[in-house]
Amino acid sequence: MSARLIAQREFTELWRDGRLLLAGGLVLVLLATALAVGWQQQRSTDAERRAAQALDYDDWLKQDARHPHDAAHQGLHVFKPEPPLSIIDPGITPYVGTTIWLQSHKQSELRFRPAQDATGLQRFGSLSVAWVLQVLAPLLVIVLGFNAFAGEREQGTLRQTLSLGVSPRQLLWGKALALLAGLALFLLPAVLAAGAAVGLSAQGADAWWRLGALVLGYGLYIAIAVFGVLAVSALASTSRMALIVLLALWIAGATLAPRAVSDLASHLYPSPSRQAFNQQLEGDLHTAYTRAWKDQLGTDKRWGATLPLNRWGEALRVDDEAGYGVSDQHFGALWDAFAQQQRLQEWAGLAVPLLALRAYSMGLAGTDFSAHRHFSTAAETQRRTMQDLISDDLVAHADPLGNQHFSYQAGKALWAKVGRFEYRAVSAAEALRANLRSLGVLAFGFVAALLFAVWAAGVRKP
Amino acid sequence: MLETVSLSKAFDSTLALDNVSLRVEPGEIYCLLGANGAGKTTLINVFLNFVTPTRGTARVNGVDVTQAPLQTKRDIAYIPEQVMLYGVLSGLENLRYFAALATGTKAPRDELLRLLAQAGLDATAAERRVSTYSKGMRQKVGIAIALAKNAKALLLDEPTSGLDPKAAAEFSQLLRNARDAGVAVLTTTHDLFHAKQTGSRIGIMRQGRLVAELKSADLSHADLEALYLEHMK
Repeated sequence: MSARLIAQREFTELWRDGRLLLAGGLVLVLLATALAVGWQQQRSTDAERRAAQALDYDDWLKQDARHPHDAAHQGLHVFKPEPPLSIIDPGITPYVGTTIWLQSHKQSELRFRPAQDATGLQRFGSLSVAWVLQVLAPLLVIVLGFNAFAGEREQGTLRQTLSLGVSPRQLLWGKALALLAGLALFLLPAVLAAGAAVGLSAQGADAWWRLGALVLGYGLYIAIAVFGVLAVSALASTSRMALIVLLALWIAGATLAPRAVSDLASHLYPSPSRQAFNQQLEGDLHTAYTRAWKDQLGTDKRWGATLPLNRWGEALRVDDEAGYGVSDQHFGALWDAFAQQQRLQEWAGLAVPLLALRAYSMGLAGTDFSAHRHFSTAAETQRRTMQDLISDDLVAHADPLGNQHFSYQAGKALWAKVGRFEYRAVSAAEALRANLRSLGVLAFGFVAALLFAVWAAGVRKP
Repeated sequence: MLETVSLSKAFDSTLALDNVSLRVEPGEIYCLLGANGAGKTTLINVFLNFVTPTRGTARVNGVDVTQAPLQTKRDIAYIPEQVMLYGVLSGLENLRYFAALATGTKAPRDELLRLLAQAGLDATAAERRVSTYSKGMRQKVGIAIALAKNAKALLLDEPTSGLDPKAAAEFSQLLRNARDAGVAVLTTTHDLFHAKQTGSRIGIMRQGRLVAELKSADLSHADLEALYLEHMK
């Protein structure tokens, strides 16, 4: 009863002094813009991807009779499908690319990174729904709530209210309710619009589960902001002091902490530079190739004249298989280092909830590093399938004369043996399971903020 | 009804209240006189549990205010020297809000308007935002809130400062009505005349101590003034 009354009065005040409409409206406009941009981008890239994927595979199937190894050098391209929720959180997609060239000898990384093509202005900050909610929503909470207690303390209305026998806790619930209602007024339309966009582009219930999980994560995050802001406001002697403290916390949390934690993470779990990684990989591959050629083919010279041409199919297989393990080891170590860095960021969410939410949001949207890894692994499996088929074919058609190796030509039957690449992303349940840590960190942050606010509301006399 | 026993409050090294014991019975108006800083407001704050006593106890209706502050505050209506309200809400909306918080029920509009009229606020002013109000008008809304609460005890901290003489006289009448209805009233004031006119009993405070207690019926206005000045020396 009291909490509802307080919430109603608080809401009326927020509405009448114009703050709610101005700040909330601004955030709503930004959210709508981000959503529209995300939707438009997703639709165009997805259409391009589908077309390119189909064309590329058709080209593969339609190859004329030719030497299989030539075909493998031409290779195939696979295109990473845009997950439906990339509308909301594009995650690391702009930085890691969407296309992999599957060709012989070499495991490739993704190419075509939008960030590479971006102009200076685009680099400045890509507007996404996730960014607005992660960075600007707490600022909105601060603008609406910094004076919730401190302002009333200055005005003297806090004394008036508490003299009536209202408990500080009810005051807290009322104020929290009003803030949440004010935020819902502007954030719910955005959630509904996002739901509509996801509904238009997604097939199946998976995207809905992911959207629901995202709403839960962002809900916890915003509740942390609400109770954190109310606690600071309850402890501050003046609303000016509350505002200064809150803005300082926001700046530290939104700009300094992510950078500092990411530096710390790469210091503790170093990942090699691209150049160093490639150098090491090349070096180890060379060693592995040399040993395999010596042990299994009895020669020191790779692809040299010492090996009769009728054994080149077999050599291809030996060469590939020697490379697979080394690649797996190097890419595995690199990706594990990234995963460890990520884990540290998630734990840092205990102090800066933004970090946990960022990981959780990308994870559930399917645009985080583990989604990238999952896709890269699937693509590499496809490449190895292609390689193995071709080596097997070359072994089966080894030239009995010994010098006609390059005259052999395979036909369409072989091309068709390489199946169409159908990528299936992990399910919503698996994505949630992989991100339970950050969800737990957010839930902990919520409980901590709640207890802090309850304590703060009661500890100071008016 | 309102009672303190050997109440002391120290702020750092200064004693704002020094061993104060007083009682206000139902149907009694107790006026506390004293210079600024004598401890009158601190005493009121102790009853509201806004200040925790260093020693001694304060009770409302027999209940220690530090033990059950929410319960004791429900028995009290409080009007400060400056009633503080929400500026963007009208007088009527402020009254509706505070009255509902105090009583737990939403009073109908004409009931609220009746209370405002009883407190002396013009009906046309009731719908205006409080940010346009004079101090006296705010004070009247505060009185209406206290009336709505229908409490067993009234705590008043210089309630008539800022009221014009007519409004002050009307306010004194309201106090007497409350007294006749069995309410215990504790009020601080600088106004000796007002104290003599409305008070049943008068206490004089100096440097945190209650230095004199008298029945107002026993002495004339001139006696009171002489006595007060004597104690202030």
